[in-house]
Amino acid sequence: MSDDKTSLCIRCPKGCRLTLLTGEDIKIKGHQCKIGEEYGKKEAIEPERVVPTTVKILGAKWPRLPVRTEKGVPLDKIEEVIDELRDLEINAPVKKGDIIVKNVADTSVDIISERDMEVKR
Amino acid sequence: MIDVVVVGGGPSGLAAASELGAMGHDVLLLEREDELGGLLNQCIHDGFGTILFSESLSGPEFADIFMNRIERAGVKVRLETYMRSVEKIEDHFVISTVTPEGVETFESRALVYAIGCRERNRFEIEIGGTRPAGVFTAGTVQRLVNLYGFLPGKQPVIVGGGDVGMIVARHLYLEGVESLLMVYPEDFFSGLPRNAQQCVLDLDIPYKPRTTVKRIFGDKKVKAVELVEVDKDWNMIEGTEKIYSCDSVILSVGLVPYSEKVEELGAEIDPATGGPVINEHFETTVDGVFSVGNLIQIFDYVDDAVKSSYTAAEGVDRFLKGSFDKTRSHTVLNPGEHVKTVTPQRIEYEGKDEITLFFRPGVEKENVEVRLLGKNGILKSFKKRYVRPSTLEDIKIPKSVLSGNPEVVIDVR
Repeated sequence: MSDDKTSLCIRCPKGCRLTLLTGEDIKIKGHQCKIGEEYGKKEAIEPERVVPTTVKILGAKWPRLPVRTEKGVPLDKIEEVIDELRDLEINAPVKKGDIIVKNVADTSVDIISERDMEVKR
Repeated sequence: MIDVVVVGGGPSGLAAASELGAMGHDVLLLEREDELGGLLNQCIHDGFGTILFSESLSGPEFADIFMNRIERAGVKVRLETYMRSVEKIEDHFVISTVTPEGVETFESRALVYAIGCRERNRFEIEIGGTRPAGVFTAGTVQRLVNLYGFLPGKQPVIVGGGDVGMIVARHLYLEGVESLLMVYPEDFFSGLPRNAQQCVLDLDIPYKPRTTVKRIFGDKKVKAVELVEVDKDWNMIEGTEKIYSCDSVILSVGLVPYSEKVEELGAEIDPATGGPVINEHFETTVDGVFSVGNLIQIFDYVDDAVKSSYTAAEGVDRFLKGSFDKTRSHTVLNPGEHVKTVTPQRIEYEGKDEITLFFRPGVEKENVEVRLLGKNGILKSFKKRYVRPSTLEDIKIPKSVLSGNPEVVIDVR
């Protein structure tokens, strides 16, 4: 017996309603393109998400620095990622793309800065 | 005299200014904040740039691309500069601004308004009750959380199932609020499905469709709200009221274009969009005054807003070079059945091969036909698999399709 689930494709704004048939062979229904089909297959085995959040930054124009995972992390790791960043404090200046945390929550994915943040004048 | 002043340093203004600068014009960009980027600075989630750059960027990353372009194009930028008023004197504009140093005026030959929109508040959707602290709009919460690190409360209720509401719900959930509830009058979230999936469904955030807030309670701080169920026309169903304890209310209930400034200059406003009436180059009904971005209509994707700024920049370029053919061959575009808004509202110039028409459907329907109706019947029709009011649609047509028709109606069936 297959264990079906549905998922809204997040790869483009169209948002196709996918049905994931996860029997012996993984089959995807409802997609309209190849990217959607691949997304569905990935979603059926190991769903991943990019996690955007902020961390505390000292000495900068704003008190928070926007950061994100450099690529997707397993869906069930999101809260661990956030927890690891919760009490982090970093110092200005920071450049866009700088690695803020390496291998966050043991996902082998890094946390990167989304923007430049200068030292406050 | 400056060639063109662009008002507003958000994505649409950045795109228009950098494009015009790259064309060799003398461009001044005015921004009221002390940094460029506008809304992008607080939109820290990814998903921007998928159309333009085939990459899923965050708001600040997307903004960065255009800030570099602005610099390379030699655009002059004035930060902390608020446009107070504009006067048209003969063939140029006198722009009066307020800056930290006092009032300053600039003169230009053309103007581009990229001043966006504001969020609708509780009074505009007639939520009753008391007026305690703790009632926010979603964009304000996004700003407080992402730039300042302030949470609006520990037990928020989010009203509205649009994109900003859902994205804010995810931020608040991940920041660790004690309780969180989303309510909205539609049957399903009205924002993008991808946001419904990754912001709400992934995280099991509780939500109630066909529900809204009737009243807010609390003296100094929000203590509770009265939830009420609504029917399919959003009328409250009496007897379904329930009190729900919370300490803050976050409204994601629509956007209103900042049209006052451009209206003061005499530009015609479209009651359907709330923004200025524009032609295919985003020129308003006042010669030399252009409008781009969310002031025109609410774009679902920043990529589309930026692309329309490019089209506007071509128009400004032609205006400045005096190469606009002033014998305007008007076609007025009007919404027909099951269509709420159409932009541009007018086609005025000859000689552009393809134009993009945006329309907002007034109905949720599968397998529809979108028709352009002229004086002798159907000019062109398109098939769409699925339309709904919350998704802005576009169609591309050769301009010649419309010629000879003073009025063209777009409908959906």
